[in-house]
Amino acid sequence: MIMERVGRLKCLSLIGCVVACLGLPATSVAQWKAKDTEWPSYAADLAGTRYRALDQINAANFNDLEIAWRIKTDNFGNRPEYKLEGTPLMVNGVLYATAGSRRAAIAVDAATGELLWVHGEHEGARGGAAPRQLSGRGLAYWSDGKEERILYVTPGYQLICLDAKTGVRVTGFGNKGAIDLKQDDDQEILPDLTSGEIGIQSAPVVAKNTIIIGAAFREGMTPKSMRNNKGYVRGFDVRTGKRLWIFHTIPKKGELGYDTWLNGSAEYTGNTGVWSQVTVDEELGLVYLPVESPTNDFYGGHRKGNNLFGETLVCVDLRTGQRKWHFQLVHHPLWDMDISAAPILADITVDGKAVKAVALPSKQGFLYVFDRVTGKPVWPIEEKQVEAGTVPGEWYSPTQPIPTRPPAYSRNGVLESDLIDFTPELHERGKAIASKYHLGPVFTPPTESKVDWPLGTLTVGTASGGTNWPGGSYDPETHTVYAFACTACAEPIGLVRAPKTVSDMNYIAGTAGEEVTILRGPGENAGADSPMPPKKRSAGGGYVALNVDGLPLLKPPYGTISAINLDKGEIVWQIAHGETPDVVRNHAALKGMNIPRTGQETYNIGTLVTKTLVIAGDGQITTTSEHPRGAMLRAYDKKSGKEVGAVYMPAPQSGSPMTYMMDGKQYIVVAVSAGAYSGEYIAFSLPASE
Amino acid sequence: MMDRWLPRWGAAVLHPYVICFVVVMVARAQEGASTSRSVWDGVYTEEQAKRGEEMYRKECASCHGDTLVGGGGAAPLTGGTFLSNWNGLTVGDLFDRIRKTMPQGALGKLTKQQDADVLAYLLSFNKFPVGKTELQKQVEFLKEIRFEATKPVAK
Repeated sequence: MIMERVGRLKCLSLIGCVVACLGLPATSVAQWKAKDTEWPSYAADLAGTRYRALDQINAANFNDLEIAWRIKTDNFGNRPEYKLEGTPLMVNGVLYATAGSRRAAIAVDAATGELLWVHGEHEGARGGAAPRQLSGRGLAYWSDGKEERILYVTPGYQLICLDAKTGVRVTGFGNKGAIDLKQDDDQEILPDLTSGEIGIQSAPVVAKNTIIIGAAFREGMTPKSMRNNKGYVRGFDVRTGKRLWIFHTIPKKGELGYDTWLNGSAEYTGNTGVWSQVTVDEELGLVYLPVESPTNDFYGGHRKGNNLFGETLVCVDLRTGQRKWHFQLVHHPLWDMDISAAPILADITVDGKAVKAVALPSKQGFLYVFDRVTGKPVWPIEEKQVEAGTVPGEWYSPTQPIPTRPPAYSRNGVLESDLIDFTPELHERGKAIASKYHLGPVFTPPTESKVDWPLGTLTVGTASGGTNWPGGSYDPETHTVYAFACTACAEPIGLVRAPKTVSDMNYIAGTAGEEVTILRGPGENAGADSPMPPKKRSAGGGYVALNVDGLPLLKPPYGTISAINLDKGEIVWQIAHGETPDVVRNHAALKGMNIPRTGQETYNIGTLVTKTLVIAGDGQITTTSEHPRGAMLRAYDKKSGKEVGAVYMPAPQSGSPMTYMMDGKQYIVVAVSAGAYSGEYIAFSLPASE
Repeated sequence: MMDRWLPRWGAAVLHPYVICFVVVMVARAQEGASTSRSVWDGVYTEEQAKRGEEMYRKECASCHGDTLVGGGGAAPLTGGTFLSNWNGLTVGDLFDRIRKTMPQGALGKLTKQQDADVLAYLLSFNKFPVGKTELQKQVEFLKEIRFEATKPVAK
């Protein structure tokens, strides 16, 4: 363990001294502090809104923003990181974040960026074997008014409790400030505590003194086995670290849902974790768990049945973890749709009636909306017949639930009409590429990959489409959800028979004519404790590039932000988000054509909502006549979607932006990284004076 | 000691040959800044790309995939995001990133020559034209080759 106290700004003490010297009454302090607006949870609040009612930064001055401070994350680990996905917290004038290849917890002065303390855990082989490495997405803050604590989960799946003032472990919590999350999990993590596959990269949540922790695994397209560890969710006492409850995302024998796993497959199937953010209604005492796919992402022949609670929104009791209601978004999951985004709590008015709702953006471009007390859909979600597949040994659900309202806000199937159409010639070439695949609407099943036909099912709105882990945001004033979606993240899903030396599953993801290999996931084996990678063998042919001379196979828009009103279940506006990529803007075949902004193919854009603006950065680097090589942080009028300002960033947004008000000044902090630019948190604010 | 060295150093700085050398180097540096070559000028050989492919399969494909599209969120080495990440930089910048961070979990395992070979394979896979000379392994030289996502239109 490394730990260093760099310093600590005693904000309140300092303010107290100054006020005492000036002879101001104590109430002045309270009033002054009340003007500060904090961001105490990963998504601003436990409702998952990513909203703050601030308007110092607005349409009139967004272009004047300048960098207040910045902090590179290179030295928070033994190698730089190029995938910084964190959203910091701000409480009491201190900004807390995870950072670097060590996934260090850091505290910095929220006004200046000065490093106050840093805490990292050297986990050795356990950290090196972790399925989800690098800096993760953030941490949690808790206080009872006296003590302040920071909680985060290491790559090696330990829950660490720190004193927020010093960064030192709180020894009274768990085992000297840590809980080994691989233990006391109602299962034996196999093969052992060091290399047993389980971890998490999202931020913990603390609600009413209960910490809630989910689980994540390596990418699930090419698992080595149908057997894996299970991703149960647990609640822990924030004071002691004692386990309070557990929810079995794959039911144990005798529990509801066990019979949706035919032939006893609930016993050995794994994954099915909650790797995205958890949302809590403290008033109702309810927790909303977005559960991911079971083993494996694209083939379910070893887990026949609907597979509860795979790809299911589950509501549990905050005090006990007992299930209150659930709704399965995808029966017998086969598309890696997961539930990728945090549920959003929204108090709305539908047909004149107040509804306490929960809204769920998704990869498949549906915004699912439920009464969060009862679990009943606010608008009907109909079971629709879907195509049955032909993969030997697979089991198919004859129907899938499809919302009647709001309409899909992102493309979720590929037909010929979705292909590139800048010119008839480019469209024909796009059709030639697409003809190698099976096409269809949402829930078109994966196919066995064959050299003659099809190579697979060409999908969008699956593994990397729609809204991914950054989730959406919500404006409680206008009852509007804002969500970025990748509308052109095409995913060919083909299945190949797995050699027994590679996997014990009948099928894993692959392409006919290519070597069958196990893929590792983002950040796996990338962290500071990671060992040597295994050797691979040579490959054959069969690969088809999903582009036409570098142009995306699907037509624009490539990425959008949608505003969806929850009172009416309607899309209010939808815009292409992100500068047109250089490869499109400068393409010889498109010379002289007037192409509206296309947005960008990227899946990691999160939005921030303020009193007047929706704010999000570009996910790709561009160079235009208006800005040098870099990416823009953009502001849109939240009522119309019209862009009202943009400020330059040296690299794309890689973690969702947050905002806070401190000492009368509003800041926006965003994580950037990609390509040659290593991770950096940048804080923007308005100039003190012109 | 210092008394003896200072006059010698001063004399060396003022020597005509040294002045000439500095002038030439400055001129070359300015030439380098304009980086007259790009990835469209045939900057690697077929043989080198083959060596690079073999190394890629051994050391890189398990994360970036056999088809270079990345694994889940692992960085793609082909397609729009890859091109946008490097467009406007140099081949040396990409080489530098590889040297600094790859292979994940085994930093420094590959030699500069092997990394240059892998780089040649990446260029080959992304349809940048093959040439008659190999990519060199000195980052300074590679930084004189511009990475341009789109083929320059003939003037």
